[in-house]
Amino acid sequence: MQPGPGSADPGPAEEENIFMSTLTNKPPGSGTGHLRRKARPASPTPEKLLEERHSGPQRRRHLFSRLDYKYSPYLYISPFFILFGLVGLFPLVYTFVVSINDWDLLGGAGDWVGLENYAAELSSPLFWNSLFNTFSIFLLSAIPQLVIATFIAAMLDQNLRAKTFWRMSVLVPYVVTPVAVTLIFSNAFDEKYGLINNLLQLVNLDPVAWKTSVFPSHLAIAAMVNWRWTGYNALILLAAMQAVPRELHESAAIDGAGMLRRFFSITLPGIRPTMIFVIITATIGGLQIFTEPKLFNASSSVPGGPDRQYQTTVLYLWDLAFNRGDFGRASAVAWMLFLIIILIGVANFLLSGKIASSGEKRAGRRPMRRGRNASRPGMTGKPAGGQDMTETRRRDHG
Amino acid sequence: MGGRYRDSCCIENSSEFIFFPKFESALTNERDARKYTRKLSTLNGVTVDISRTSRIAKAVAVAGSLALLATGCGGSNNAADEQPASADNPVTLTVTTFGTMGLDALYAKYESQNPGVKIQATNIDTGGNALTDWKTKQAAGAGLPDVQAVEEGWLGQVMAVSDSFADLRDYGAGEISSQWVDWKVQQATDDEGRIIGYGTDIGPMGLCYNADLYKKAGLPSERDAVVELFGGDNATWEKFVDVGKDYVKASDEAFYDQSGFVWNSMVNQLGEGYYKADGTLNIEGNTQLRERWDLLADAASNGLSSGQTQWDWGKGQAFIDGSFATMPCPGWMLGVVKGQIEGAGGDAASGWDFADVFPGGPANWGGTFLTVPTTSEHPAEAAKLAQWLTSAESQAAAFEEAGAFPSSLEAQQSEAVTGANELTKFFNDAPIGTILASRAEGVKAQFKGPNDSVIQEQVFGPATIALDSGTDGQSAWNDALSTLKNLDIK
Repeated sequence: MQPGPGSADPGPAEEENIFMSTLTNKPPGSGTGHLRRKARPASPTPEKLLEERHSGPQRRRHLFSRLDYKYSPYLYISPFFILFGLVGLFPLVYTFVVSINDWDLLGGAGDWVGLENYAAELSSPLFWNSLFNTFSIFLLSAIPQLVIATFIAAMLDQNLRAKTFWRMSVLVPYVVTPVAVTLIFSNAFDEKYGLINNLLQLVNLDPVAWKTSVFPSHLAIAAMVNWRWTGYNALILLAAMQAVPRELHESAAIDGAGMLRRFFSITLPGIRPTMIFVIITATIGGLQIFTEPKLFNASSSVPGGPDRQYQTTVLYLWDLAFNRGDFGRASAVAWMLFLIIILIGVANFLLSGKIASSGEKRAGRRPMRRGRNASRPGMTGKPAGGQDMTETRRRDHG
Repeated sequence: MGGRYRDSCCIENSSEFIFFPKFESALTNERDARKYTRKLSTLNGVTVDISRTSRIAKAVAVAGSLALLATGCGGSNNAADEQPASADNPVTLTVTTFGTMGLDALYAKYESQNPGVKIQATNIDTGGNALTDWKTKQAAGAGLPDVQAVEEGWLGQVMAVSDSFADLRDYGAGEISSQWVDWKVQQATDDEGRIIGYGTDIGPMGLCYNADLYKKAGLPSERDAVVELFGGDNATWEKFVDVGKDYVKASDEAFYDQSGFVWNSMVNQLGEGYYKADGTLNIEGNTQLRERWDLLADAASNGLSSGQTQWDWGKGQAFIDGSFATMPCPGWMLGVVKGQIEGAGGDAASGWDFADVFPGGPANWGGTFLTVPTTSEHPAEAAKLAQWLTSAESQAAAFEEAGAFPSSLEAQQSEAVTGANELTKFFNDAPIGTILASRAEGVKAQFKGPNDSVIQEQVFGPATIALDSGTDGQSAWNDALSTLKNLDIK
């Protein structure tokens, strides 16, 4: 690895030298080095090289270069690790340190209490309530959202007029800031004067306590999340659907599979890895939901509803830290939430690993089948005719 | 004082930067690096050595880091040798306020009267956001302004860390303390007797009532008659509830907007509220509190409460559609009511008026203080500014600008406060300034514990909502106590 002095080729080295001296604004002819070079034969003898190697400053330089060569790559990649350490690892560790202390927001660090904060939170009904709310809102939003997103993606995957227009319009809700979404929805879901209750009363239904009862409030918040994220997920799923080989659809169509059958047997399995990705991101986002429940009833003196009907875990920990001023317990909640997300992440990882490997098997079979398909036209005339048929059909569609 | 930390930080060891930059290495790829190694070893002396560029880079880096350190240390100053600001010794003072305090015009005036002083003002939209801002900076121990506005509702938390605010007696607060209503100064005094804030506005409470609705229900509607109706100087909450029951019977509408504000008023006017003066919790077994709670529950169960959402009132609709006819109103609430009514399309004809009476004795809700955090580099200048901004003249100007009712006795008597203005016209020409000055007499400065606001908002907030939605007093009280336990408030 290290080019020793013996392997040196003096000719180009000299050229480089001149190059280097111009680089450092030292005229090539100046300095003692130049004089010495003139006085010396152009190519040094091995003995001289040996001598040079052992001379003090040269050896130090050599060592320096070796260190440079060996360790400077670590320096080049260090910015990421420094940044990660600063904004990722350090807060994580520091949060843990805070969580094992009795720590007041304004008063600062108090006594070391071990895992007492964790124990206190685990026995606090408010903590469990927040977890229940988080998962309830998550499930209410994630499931319909993914079903609808898949449906929209399947629709957009068809031959539509003004494709780009439709694709853009499903993305529009995503562009709107969540605060604006929440303000509008919060207004519509108002119990006494809201649009939705007015409509309900118009058709002689009882008004719903959107902001003070548990299930309706979760539905309302899930509605906001769905409104915002469905289009985004639909576009991702659409991209995946377009990567599903068309010929699979075609041959299935020829075999007599209807729209639904093709969707469930070809499209869905084909987009499975993407589906997993969408589910993972939806899970992470869903477990950290904050803005919607916070602003849903902004005037409520308790964040997340007067009786904490929709106080999610992140909202709970924010309240704990900044309203109640208990940093220690808030940090404990943060860590437990972190662990829960990691747990779910690991579960997702294992699950997606399984599905991805089954997908690979599928993908492994696919080229074979495709290969067979491709070789068929040469063997019999029938599939070729089939292809023609689909061609015509496609043209009809267009 | 301000320079305590800053001085030490200049003697920073910058040796860690010295090994760091070998920029020319960063510019070359592996192959070039190998060439250099080769060249260095083959041609001694001739080499234009790498270490030269490296030295330059090193010098740049060290200079840069020193510059960074220097800016970090910028303006290290000592309070002890603080020179008064002048044209030769310019001082920039930062001020953080919130809501509409009506101080903006005063800053310019102060700057022109005090050459060398430059005021950098930040106004935060709401008191709640300002509290978050203050708490965050207080917790971080950095970033606090020279003059910080503090709301009465935060006092419990502020007093828990009162030693991080300058004692304004060092700057003459003791000599001028008689210019304020006495309880305002008491509120700003911590348990060691340090005065940490100059009072700006206060929120003495009267009753907002809708004269049209009162008339329709057969109740007296003239201001003085309404004062008599509630019992004048001896107005009690029992009387208030009785009047409310009569009103509900006659009109079949609710009497007041929601139970939360009524409850807060009931608690805040007591000698001791959620905390005893010695700092211990005072809720469980507090018969005084419990009696008032039962009264409130009785009122709610008799349909006196309209069950409105606090601060929302159906975007003001409830003020003009006859949903309720009475509301406990601190001075600043009048502006809120006006805004709500106008927001919902109403005007002065919607019938609201303001009466010089309050059940259960005088009460105050809200008000602000100007404090000087000890992190200020110019505490003397900051205290001088805060003192000027809370002088009688300035308070009268702030009242004209934003309707902030002055805590200064002299300002309360000034023409600007007692005279007619937009607000008095809106409230049926009620002499608002005079009424509020009379309502400010005899308020008690209640001790506020560190979790006072949490108890008010998170323990009794939901409980009063529960009362409004039909829960009986006993179970709502029990729920409040169990919430108190769950929140682990000590």
